[in-house]
Formats: sequence, C-alpha cells, structure tokens
Amino acid sequence: MSNGLTDGDSDLLRRIARGDEEAFLTFYRRHQGPVYRFALQMSGQAEIAEEVTQDVFMVVMRSPKQYDPSRGSVAAYLYGVARNFVLRRLEQDRPYLTALDDPQSQHAQLAARDADPLSDLARNERVESLRKAVLALPPAYREVVVLCDLQEVDYAEAAAALQCAIGTVRSRLHRARALLAEKMRAEERCAV
Amino acid sequence: MNESDSKLLEGLRALAANSRREAPAHVEERLLGEFRKRSRARVRHRWLAVTAGAIAAGIALFIWMRPAPAKLSPAAAALSASKPAPQPAPAQTKTAALPSDQAQGSEVAMNFYRLPDADILPPLDSATIVRVRLPISSLRLMGVPVNEDRADESVQADVLLGQDGLARGVRFVN
Repeated sequence: MSNGLTDGDSDLLRRIARGDEEAFLTFYRRHQGPVYRFALQMSGQAEIAEEVTQDVFMVVMRSPKQYDPSRGSVAAYLYGVARNFVLRRLEQDRPYLTALDDPQSQHAQLAARDADPLSDLARNERVESLRKAVLALPPAYREVVVLCDLQEVDYAEAAAALQCAIGTVRSRLHRARALLAEKMRAEERCAV
Repeated sequence: MNESDSKLLEGLRALAANSRREAPAHVEERLLGEFRKRSRARVRHRWLAVTAGAIAAGIALFIWMRPAPAKLSPAAAALSASKPAPQPAPAQTKTAALPSDQAQGSEVAMNFYRLPDADILPPLDSATIVRVRLPISSLRLMGVPVNEDRADESVQADVLLGQDGLARGVRFVN
C-alpha cells in the first residue's frame, strides 16, 4: 500500500461510487496485500485475516465516500478500518493465542516451507518465536509493531490509522520493542 | 542501539519479509460477486426511480393540460345530468341574488331538490344560485308536504337558475 493518496485513488473511489467494477478491482488489488498482512500479523490467523480483508473492502464498496482525505492517506484509512475489525474479532475470540501453538497455523506453515535445511533452521526458529512474541503483545503495542516494524508505515501514517498522536506511536513502539527484546532474551536464556 | 536491539530489528525485518503474503483469490471472487449483486440492485433501483418519475411527470402533465371544468357548481352539474324541456318554475318569484359559493359559513344547506318540470328544460350550460325567502305554502308546488299551521311563515332557500333564467332546483337553508 503506497503512502499518501496514490495518484488515481480518489478517482477510483469516485468511480466505485458510480458502480464501476473495474475501478473496484484495481483499488482492491492495489491495497489488499497490506490490509491482509496487517490483519494476519495482528491476529495470527489466516481465517480472521481473510474475513477482515473482506469486511474492509465491503466498507469501501458500500461507502466509498466515507474516506476523508483531510484525515490522512487511503492507506491509513484502510489500516484504521482493518484495525477496528481485527480488534472486534479478537474481542470475540479472546483465546486466540491458542492458535500460536497450532502446527497448522499459516505462519508456521510458511516458516516451515521457506526453511532451508539446517543452515536456516536457527534463523527460522528465531523468526517464529519473534512472531509468537509479537502476537502475545497487548493489542495497543502489537498494532504499532505491526504497522511500523512489519508494514514499514511511517509514524505519521500509523498515528492517522490508530487515531492517536505521533508521540503516542513513538512511545508505544519503544515500549513494545523493549517488551519483545526482553521476551527474546528470556527465550535465549531458556534455550541455553 | 545495543546488540539486543539490533538483533530484534533484524528479526522483525526477517519476520516482515517472511510475511509477504496476499489475500487468497477467493476473497477477491466473493467481493466481486457482492459488487455485481449491488450493481444489479443499483440498476434496478435506478429504473424504478426513473419509471416512478415518468409516471409522476405524466400525471402532472395530464392535470396541467386537461380542459378547464365547466362553470357549473357540483350541485348544478348533478342536476344537469338529466333530460331537458322548459317550463317556468314556481320558485323564481323572489330576488336577492348571491354568489354561488355563498350559503356557507354556519349555514346548513340540504341537497338541491329537482323541481317537477326541470326535466323538460334544456340542459344546464351555466347556472346561477339565487338566495330567496319562500312562503312555506309554496312548497306544496314542489310536492313537499306542508304543515298548515306554519303555511304563512317563510323559509330561506337557494334557487338554481339555468342560463335561460328558469329554475331547475331548490334547496333549503337553515
């Protein structure tokens, strides 16, 4: 998802409002990846990520004029909508962390598929435990890590998506990284 | 940035690279299906709105273009719906012409009585209503039963006169 109002996004939204299927498809293909990844990294479940992606673009389909350029980029708007859906889903499925230990977890499958025998094993294990640590963070910290570190969104855009001040994003990110570092150190100690 | 921080950032970058994934194709298919469904509904609603608008415009045009109604009052129109043929009416005697839309206010007016010979008068083209006071005794001429004790009194009535000045009907006003 590109930052700011991508050339053509406003035109696409206008055309979507008129019922232009091609415009909707272009808009969806342009933005679905980041929305899906955000939902996946926030929830750890492909099923939730799919539902959230669908819900986000249903909102775009139903009310394309809901996006207000004065309040931030299209990307920030979509992240904001996705965040609301994810948090709602996580509220409904509170014990979602059980998915972390599920060997069928999409992330676990992905890590296993990408692993090169032996040489990358340690690295993949580290990545996998880091992914679990991210998922175990409280939502307020998790969302800044997902947005700023995993989705590489800048602070201003993250602040617009989360509807908070840039300073809040910075401080939450600092705290979240400290929590992750602590967790990773503890894991290393256990491994030794 | 200490070693543990840089290790963490490196790990996060690796995690981000590992997560380069997109929504499955069936999400796009479902959304497209929904979009098409909504487009069809939108087209249907648009047609309904256009049709309703056209009907409303047609009705408005019809009302605007139809010929102006004849000058007959509803009562006169009802009365004129029968056969013609002349003969002076007995109630034509008194004066005091009033506008046809009078006899309102707190008055209670009955329906017009067709006078006995009105059927043989020419059909009404226009009509005038004249407010008169009639002696109760004259009601006998119209076939109305009269109380002999009150025969000398008078009663207020509207007489409907045709374009020829002949009375077609009468109604009593309280």
